[in-house]
Amino acid sequence: MRIPTETGFTRSAHDARVTARVGLWLGVAFGVCFVTGLLSHGIQHPPGWFDWPTRPVSLYRITQGLHVVSGVAAIPLLLAKLWSVYPLLFARPVVRSVAHAVERGSVLLLIGAASFELITGLLNVFQAYPWRFFFPPVHYAVGWIAIGSMIVHLGVKLPRVLDGLRRPVTDEPAPARPGALGRRAFLGVTALAAGAAVLATAGATVPWLRRVSVLAWTSGTGPQGLPVNRTAAAAGVTADPGWRLEVVWPGGSRTLSLDELAAMDQRTAELPIACVEGWSASATWTGVPVSWLLAAAGAPAGRPVHVESLERDGLYARSVLPPAHASDELTLLALAVNGERLSLDHGFPARIIAPSRPGVLQTKWVRRLEVK
Amino acid sequence: MRAALVATGALIIGWGGWLLWPHLTPAASVAGWSLAGPVVHDLLLAPAVGLLGVIVTAAVPPRWRVPVAAGLVVSGVLVLLALPGLLRPSAGPPNPGLADRNYPFGLVAALAVTWLLVLAAGALPPPRRLRARFRSRQRPRQTRPMPGLSRIRRPRRSARPRPGR
Repeated sequence: MRIPTETGFTRSAHDARVTARVGLWLGVAFGVCFVTGLLSHGIQHPPGWFDWPTRPVSLYRITQGLHVVSGVAAIPLLLAKLWSVYPLLFARPVVRSVAHAVERGSVLLLIGAASFELITGLLNVFQAYPWRFFFPPVHYAVGWIAIGSMIVHLGVKLPRVLDGLRRPVTDEPAPARPGALGRRAFLGVTALAAGAAVLATAGATVPWLRRVSVLAWTSGTGPQGLPVNRTAAAAGVTADPGWRLEVVWPGGSRTLSLDELAAMDQRTAELPIACVEGWSASATWTGVPVSWLLAAAGAPAGRPVHVESLERDGLYARSVLPPAHASDELTLLALAVNGERLSLDHGFPARIIAPSRPGVLQTKWVRRLEVK
Repeated sequence: MRAALVATGALIIGWGGWLLWPHLTPAASVAGWSLAGPVVHDLLLAPAVGLLGVIVTAAVPPRWRVPVAAGLVVSGVLVLLALPGLLRPSAGPPNPGLADRNYPFGLVAALAVTWLLVLAAGALPPPRRLRARFRSRQRPRQTRPMPGLSRIRRPRRSARPRPGR
């Protein structure tokens, strides 16, 4: 078989006007992914200057939903972009100069990093991990590399991009062999494919799409009406009849039994649980607001609260409620969900549920609250 | 402006590399999953798309080309999106409520809807606006006796003033 050459491709899709537009859409999708990914990282590993608001209660649900939805949309957009520029792969000579070699290398870096993010992200939301590295820090670091090489690419191609965007997309003049799709039709089909990809999956986080999104990574329900992201069995937690909650602060401490907690003033709130892995679901939670609990125990307010789980070794066995969340009356030490006492998989006897927080920080099987 | 973009991008790549460095364990796994995309695309996916394009252009009547090509593209994307749910390679411990849909059924249903829409788009008369454009696109093909001749004619066609300029 003959290896094709760059000029052997004559179809309408391989046109700078098409490439520039698909590239713009892809850039927007990656930009949304990057910003929302940074926010999620910031909430989980907050630098000193970073504060995340508690309102609206769905804020994290929205930002992380955007993260996975724009990531899914980027899959067909990236494929369309690669098809549009596929002829350049066959440019001869392979390398013209040092600068050309660097440029081609940066394009390989861009495609490698971008496809790494989309492939590993999609596998991760399905809780498949067919690799041997630890997903979160690698996905985070490669996100920076993808965005950086995208900016380099934009710098290198800027005149062509601007020229491509400025010229209207018409099917005139028709290329010598137009191919299955004209330029407009190629763009239309690309947008259609991105829309279909979103419709098929977004129900994992958008409730009114639950029945439409046949390929979503969750049905949005589960035991007690909610999916479980880590079972008690996986966490090595069993129900302990002698469970006591420890509340500790500088200069004091108090222990409470489940009966004592249940006898305190309760509050019921409709709050979403929004996983970093891009699913979310709303539920009605009932429990003692952490701020009321601390006040009743005599602990000081307005400080960060460290939450510890019965789970000993897991990565998410502890979390820190920043002062804003600790003092918010919607931050509950929940004892019940959707009208039933928490099941063991949902964190029995007590779990944290706070507004606008990643699910991994909604610590289950709470055994200790420490005011720092 | 361009130099600033390239320099900023290079700095960001460097920062990403700095963040990645301590987590490059094992490096072969990270490198393999980074190269998988480009290699699979360039050697398998893109040639397959090209081949399908040639088949559609040669074998599908003009009126059906756009709907059929759109159906093929959407079907391909749906299959790719379904793969993790169908295969779930090295999945973690099972979690009730997650990855819990019937993915074989879901994929078949989505493909069925896609091709029903393709049938509808091909069978129903196109809107008037599209019909006019469609006809204008057909004309050059009919007045093209030889492939070589059209290449000679092309410059004259493009020299015509473009509307809106």
